[in-house]
Amino acid sequence: MPQFLAVSNRKGGVGKSTLSVMLAHAFAAWSGLRVLVMDLDTQCNVSLMLLGGEDWQRACQRGRTISDYFYNRFDKVAEDESAYVLNDVGDVAHSRAKWLAAFRPAPGRVSLLPGSQQLEDIQGELLLKHSKKDLDADAVAVQIRARMKRLMRHFGMDADLVVLDCPPGLSLAALAALDLADHVLVPFRPDYVAQFALDRVAMLVERVSSAEQLATIPLEQRRYSCLPNCWTGDGHERLLIDQLALDHPLLSTRIPALSSIARAFDWDETKKTMEAKYKDALPHLRALHNELAGEAGRLAKTA
Amino acid sequence: MTMGKKTRVLSGASLEAYFRRILRAVDLSDDQRNEIVRQLRGEIALLRVRKGAHAGSDEDGVTASSLANILDAPVASEFDPFTPNIIVVLRQGGSDAALAALATIESAEDLHTLAREQRLHIDDDLSSIAAIRLAIVTAAERRVANRMAAAT
Repeated sequence: MPQFLAVSNRKGGVGKSTLSVMLAHAFAAWSGLRVLVMDLDTQCNVSLMLLGGEDWQRACQRGRTISDYFYNRFDKVAEDESAYVLNDVGDVAHSRAKWLAAFRPAPGRVSLLPGSQQLEDIQGELLLKHSKKDLDADAVAVQIRARMKRLMRHFGMDADLVVLDCPPGLSLAALAALDLADHVLVPFRPDYVAQFALDRVAMLVERVSSAEQLATIPLEQRRYSCLPNCWTGDGHERLLIDQLALDHPLLSTRIPALSSIARAFDWDETKKTMEAKYKDALPHLRALHNELAGEAGRLAKTA
Repeated sequence: MTMGKKTRVLSGASLEAYFRRILRAVDLSDDQRNEIVRQLRGEIALLRVRKGAHAGSDEDGVTASSLANILDAPVASEFDPFTPNIIVVLRQGGSDAALAALATIESAEDLHTLAREQRLHIDDDLSSIAAIRLAIVTAAERRVANRMAAAT
């Protein structure tokens, strides 16, 4: 079974999509993994970063996006879903990790289930369609969420790691992704509202309804970890981090605010090395990769 | 030096925090930002030494060794408005522990600076050290309660 890593925060603009792509590249390049990125955000930024506008548009026109998949397969037995997946996307050239060569014939790669601006509409349609059979709206929502989770899990069969790029807010697809995830990475910008956002996503992931209940779960047993993004390291941020560390598991990696990260996602068809793409952000990405690889290892042991 | 409410001299750590806040708006790597902050500290130190030399002796300027001493002086010896982290101390040890932590700060000006930098709102007119400390702890308790109320 693959590992499912959700990148989630109800707050927007914290770097979820950027980090999803960076991690996909990192695990493909440095761990030699077959990484599938699932774009659950109707902004479709992950798709645009990995495909560019034209190829994403073609996927939409051909009905090969996440919303098409959910809608077409919702009431059917899952079949071969490879038609929905675009392989070897992105502009990083992945080479086989030497230590993996003896065990796995193919090098790491990044694949994509493209996002769709229609995903929220599709969820609404599914709710309406199934509400006719069952009057309890909450029960219908739970059923749809559970079905979405199964459909997402089915996609992981041909991957070692599935990165679920979640939208801000709480769509059914986002909730299904949080249910499915072996681990949830919660990026945040270290500002005043970050603490509220982290508390809320933590309660969702751990399925509790108050800070008091959350506090009863030891930090080392939590299913999520928090990543400071756009870090400057000033005194106010350090204060906040110390405060958040009382309530949430924080990664020791900090992703600084670097223009090289922003520029790395200008669409470019030319395949390049990780060094050429991420420049001075590379050491930070490597640190994040190594730390999450350790987390994933710990999770696999406890599963 | 007499200081009004509106203007004040920043201590070393506050000055460094101020520079970092300003430089956050500029596209720099951590190393570049650290180097600029270091250079700025050096420039400020140089100005202070020159001012002191004018006031206290006939010498105009500064020796290399005196500047090196200032540049190499540990920042920790200056007041750091981010330490102790009052909310962390409060949550871990309660209000008595927070008051005890604040008892190590004996200047009203430093306590006001700490409150401002740690976003703990207190009345600017408070001048009694004990009252300022108590107000800081009360403000920290409000911050914690505010967050707990939101986490439902």
